[in-house]
Amino acid sequence: MLLTTIDKDNPSAEWIASLRKRFPVEKEVDRVLTRKLQQRRGPPFAPVSLETLCGGLTSLLRTQLTDGFEIRDAKWLSGGASKLQVSLKLEWTQPDVGRTVTPMVLRMEPAASIVETSRLREAQIINAVRDLLPVPSIYWIDEEGEHLPYPAIVYGFAEGVAKPSGTVSNVTGLGINYGRQLRQTLGQQYVEHLALLHTWDWSRAALGSLDVPALGTQAVEWQLNWWERVWEEDSHRDIPLMRLAAAWLRDHMPATQHLALIHGDYRPGNFLFTEHDQRISAWLDWELGHLGDYHEDVAYTTMPYLGHMSEDGKQFLASGMMPAEMLYEAYERSSGLTVEPKIIDYYQVFHAYRSIVIVIASGYRPTRNGKTHQDLLLNWIMGIGYSILGYLRDKLEEVG
Amino acid sequence: MDIRPEIQIQSMIKSMVEVVLPAIDPEHKLAQEQARLLIGTLQLVAKRLPVAYRYDCDELRRYVDFARDLARRAGTAVDASTRAELDGLVARGVAVLEAALIEPTDIEAAAFALRAATSQIVDEVCKLGSPQKKEAVRELVLAASKVEVQREQALVIDMGFEMDPSKRPPPIEAQLPPLQVRDR
Repeated sequence: MLLTTIDKDNPSAEWIASLRKRFPVEKEVDRVLTRKLQQRRGPPFAPVSLETLCGGLTSLLRTQLTDGFEIRDAKWLSGGASKLQVSLKLEWTQPDVGRTVTPMVLRMEPAASIVETSRLREAQIINAVRDLLPVPSIYWIDEEGEHLPYPAIVYGFAEGVAKPSGTVSNVTGLGINYGRQLRQTLGQQYVEHLALLHTWDWSRAALGSLDVPALGTQAVEWQLNWWERVWEEDSHRDIPLMRLAAAWLRDHMPATQHLALIHGDYRPGNFLFTEHDQRISAWLDWELGHLGDYHEDVAYTTMPYLGHMSEDGKQFLASGMMPAEMLYEAYERSSGLTVEPKIIDYYQVFHAYRSIVIVIASGYRPTRNGKTHQDLLLNWIMGIGYSILGYLRDKLEEVG
Repeated sequence: MDIRPEIQIQSMIKSMVEVVLPAIDPEHKLAQEQARLLIGTLQLVAKRLPVAYRYDCDELRRYVDFARDLARRAGTAVDASTRAELDGLVARGVAVLEAALIEPTDIEAAAFALRAATSQIVDEVCKLGSPQKKEAVRELVLAASKVEVQREQALVIDMGFEMDPSKRPPPIEAQLPPLQVRDR
């Protein structure tokens, strides 16, 4: 039957169950996506005052701290497209430190988000890699929104900037131009950090919210199931090209023999650096982390919407850092892993598909229902989806 | 294209009411007043937009009738060349009304349904079709997408996301063929 009407704004229990059956994903991903649909018919996002957030944080801290504490200087932060963020200072008695004042960031979900993810998974991954890469400290999580209006996480405030002071970029750090000199020093660290992540032995880390796929194609199949499911859940107008892309991705899944911890959103705008010494000071936004093929992250760094042309207009700089071929070579040198061009092609198609799911489908649905604190930003971000559709079309033609 | 004025306006109002207005200095009376006027105007536009097309058609119908009645009553008080000019404008108005029998939302809904149906068929052929059928559908989808994506990119080009100057599409005005009635 061609015209089955599904009211995606009021999803039925049967429809939710059918999606879960059609698209098996990791347990934690399934929990988050199912919760999203179950809560969809709920009220729109209600503005939350700083006082309310500080009150929620106070409630959370009373369950965690025995000594007195004081929350000060709470201020809104901008930057991300998916979560509310507030900077604050906490005066408290820190274990092994004593009485101190610690700058922190409270990161809370809105009623619905452009990417629905797990705060537990985000916290576990950051804690797991803290001796490997620069990441902010994780202090506490309110996984189910028991104390705060929605699920939230409390980070240590990370020093640094996402883009050079005085420069401009599009929203969420897209199109950052670091400049000739800075891109060399940051570019080297950018590649080395990725290589470190992918060659790290995650098997002994406390990553209980991540399921471990079998070697072969299970990891990529879970990813396809995740994003095809989200397309079904969130999209409004269907797009035949997206159906073609999904089918191509199913038909060409590459096998992997090396499971790495994948950041999932490794790009400019998702790390901070300190300008005085030009060092990457913190890797952020680990919410899409999972176990998979290292090509997935490597291919992402070369997506056209994450880079820009060089100043002389002669070459494209992947991630605004260096030409893609140079990035692959540097990555191979640092990691000892081989970059297979055909698998890079595959994951470039995958990322174009995933990005369109996120910005067009999941940008639309929460905005339509007034579910976020910045619907206008999501509306704006949808615009990039149509450039990515053009890339996806050309890439599918190229790969045959 | 899912970026539509109704959702954009709704988001603009929400942003103004929940974020911008509370942050404006209460002592800056001009800014306070302008912000409230902006919200009020957007609310008005949001309310009127769905009936704007129907209103325009109704207005044209009323003026066609009025012009006919006026010509009849004025009779020979209007010179022949003016009368001929008016008759021509009435005939044009009637032709436009005859072509304007469909609401824009009906056009949108029909395209929406066809998108869903064709996407489903692409899905099914890709899963179950023979290699020849799959290849034929693939070629067709890629060709149709080339045209569609170029139009969509032109609609959002001013958002500044396209980083490669060689990928800039022709302006949307140049891409859209004229509607039939305009050729008459």
